Amino acid sequence: MSELTGILTLVPAALAIYFLFRPGRGWLERWRRWLRLSDRVLSEDALKHLYHCEYEQREATVQSLSGALGTPVEKVAGLVQRIEAGELATSEGASLRLTPKGREYALRIIRAHRLWERYLAEETGLKEPDWHKRAEHQEHRLSSSEADALAARMGNPPFDPHGDPIPTQQGQLPPRRGQPLTSLAVGERARIAHLEDEPEAVYAQLVAEGLHPLMVVQLTHLSAERICFWAEGEEHLLAPIVAANVSVVPLPREQPVEESLETLAILEPGEQATVVGLSPNCRGLERRRLMDLGLLPGTVVAAEMRSPVGDPTAFRIRGALIALRGEQAANIRISSRRQVA
Amino acid sequence: MNPVNTRKEVLEAAANLRWEVGPNLHDSLMEALYTDAARISDRVLSRDDARPAFDLDRTIDRLVTSRWLGFPIMMLLMAVVLWVTITGANVPSSLLSSLFLETLHPALKQAAAAAGLAWWLDGLLIDGMFLAMAWVVSVMLPPMAIFFPLFTLLEDFGYLPRVAFNLDNWFKKAGAHGKQALTMAMGYGCNAAGVVATRVIDSPRERLIATLTNNFSLCNGRWPTQILIATIFIGSLAPPALAGLVSAGSVMAVVLLGVGCTFLVSWGLSRTLLKGEASAFSLELPPYRPPRILQTIYTSLIDRTLIVLWRAVVFSVPAGAAIWLVSNIHLGGASLAEHLIQGMNPFGLLIGLNGVILLAYIIAIPANEIVIPTVLMLTVVSAGLTGVGEGAGVMFEFDSASATLAVLEADGWTLLTGVNLMLFSLLHNPCSTTLYTIWKETGSVKWTAASALLPIAMGLVVCFCVAQAFRWLGG
Repeated sequence: MSELTGILTLVPAALAIYFLFRPGRGWLERWRRWLRLSDRVLSEDALKHLYHCEYEQREATVQSLSGALGTPVEKVAGLVQRIEAGELATSEGASLRLTPKGREYALRIIRAHRLWERYLAEETGLKEPDWHKRAEHQEHRLSSSEADALAARMGNPPFDPHGDPIPTQQGQLPPRRGQPLTSLAVGERARIAHLEDEPEAVYAQLVAEGLHPLMVVQLTHLSAERICFWAEGEEHLLAPIVAANVSVVPLPREQPVEESLETLAILEPGEQATVVGLSPNCRGLERRRLMDLGLLPGTVVAAEMRSPVGDPTAFRIRGALIALRGEQAANIRISSRRQVA
Repeated sequence: MNPVNTRKEVLEAAANLRWEVGPNLHDSLMEALYTDAARISDRVLSRDDARPAFDLDRTIDRLVTSRWLGFPIMMLLMAVVLWVTITGANVPSSLLSSLFLETLHPALKQAAAAAGLAWWLDGLLIDGMFLAMAWVVSVMLPPMAIFFPLFTLLEDFGYLPRVAFNLDNWFKKAGAHGKQALTMAMGYGCNAAGVVATRVIDSPRERLIATLTNNFSLCNGRWPTQILIATIFIGSLAPPALAGLVSAGSVMAVVLLGVGCTFLVSWGLSRTLLKGEASAFSLELPPYRPPRILQTIYTSLIDRTLIVLWRAVVFSVPAGAAIWLVSNIHLGGASLAEHLIQGMNPFGLLIGLNGVILLAYIIAIPANEIVIPTVLMLTVVSAGLTGVGEGAGVMFEFDSASATLAVLEADGWTLLTGVNLMLFSLLHNPCSTTLYTIWKETGSVKWTAASALLPIAMGLVVCFCVAQAFRWLGG
């Protein structure tokens, strides 16, 4: 019996050794690579911070860097020395500035970050809260040729899902647009241009409100305590400090209202309506699927029946009976809701 | 004008305009393409939108999706399908098994003896390979040949998508698709067929969930194991008048545990491993139509039954050889099977099973149908019983439950062993036919490995916990 016990212990031991020391992909090798990487990650994050400060015309200092990276000032000082030694940034008094070489480097990281966010939004089932976190991880791992291949595959998208421009291959970015939501006057209409995805807790609150770039908002109330506005048929209420993380582009007053405020979700069996369009919130595979089904501007859709448990609802779309879930129907904007004749 | 300059200016202008087109350029382009396509189709296709006074489809739909009748109709149809399958399969199953096991097997043995075949070749080919194949065919073929055509008829009529429509909300809460109800139902016939049936789910994430959890539907090959063990270990605890009810109830409990596991694992997978897979729900409710009976029977026999049966046969032949070989190769006085059983026994007993059961599940991986015959044969071999069974490496089954119980108890089986065997029969890796099908359908070694390791890990944990609780309560 001892031979068998011997074999039973030897096999796992051999496997463990193999996985630890496997050339190139072994756990030990990965651990060493990870240690080296974490140093690089820190300096790349620092360059990104310097670039964001420059783009938003704020001053970057060792203190602001320490705050952004969540690292003690003493450690950041060493980091800044390393960055300066690599000729990526220079300091003038207290403020830090990127060199052209450093700017190019930072733009490459930002490009990888925003492309990856776009990829996650369009081609995976991950939801808003995961995009930023995963892109923060991936931006340091994507080489520029991989980023270019990714961009080409997605048709060189100009913007990420938060509404931020993606730097081009040559590192070009448009000048900054938009103003904080809190700067609008009561009654003024504007289009959301950008949702700031940091800090995470604030972004989560904006996502929970159902806000997304391209949404048209109209301000109804503004005070020091709260800000109220209409968007897609719902009234939203935010603390001004939260609303300041939403950038908007004001719309001219005379422009007629083209945004429909009703969605397919409010249709009761026996009613019909005309599709106006799909919400920008609905992306990738889901969007293509709904279009495949014929949910296009001008299509007449009638609600026929509801599942005995309340969801989904079956709609008559171009002659076919299609069941859609409540949250899908909420992404389809409609107008002229009426009883079926 | 200098052409080089012009080109540069145009490119610059284009680069600047890039930022003006807005974030939804691609969406607008795509929408325009679709709208053009829709306009063309509207021009060449006329639709009769006027609604008739009496619409049969609508009337049936009202009935089968109504709040009060929807679920009773569903249960009734499922019960009828299962009842027809189980009662209808009894006759052909016993016919096939008497043909294969009582007529053909002895005839082959005689022919081999007359031809002077070496004992080991005769054993390997006839007692090992032929018997395993015969067993799989006779147990598997009749229920599948009845269940699949019935199921396909309901599908062809247009009823099944309505079941998905009724149940979708519950599956949605587990991150799955309503059509998973159909693939689960198919899994009660055969998991390999259930995995193939996940093709009806056109959303990648939900399809993977349905594929990975299909094993929690108790398949055709596992029902007999459940019923046998429930009868001899659990039914016998109750007074004779209630024995049938109690054992049927315990099998139902295992089935419901399987349903619970399906929802739990679906929920877990959609939030962890499969979180990043793309997902888009859609469910078409096609118009009803009279089922094309002959065509349905033909295609379901060819597409579902025969393909699955062929795979099972291909896998069961080498398993038959392995079963025969482990019981007939001797190392230092004892057979390989006895060494392996001895080696695995401590671990088996720890989780409330035993070495025989673990070895049987390893060598009978091609088909759950041959697990019980293998267990019985190995029990006789390892306990050194004489006067029962057909010899080393020859699978067999008893005609009576009490004879089975006598052999199992002689090898030290208790109520715990019985209960844990029922649990392990539900929660263990899918058979190799199903695994092969999963690999073919997903094209991924990763998902195939996950679908094997997940249930087996759950089974080992559950059996261990039950064994500990049992010992603690029993003192």
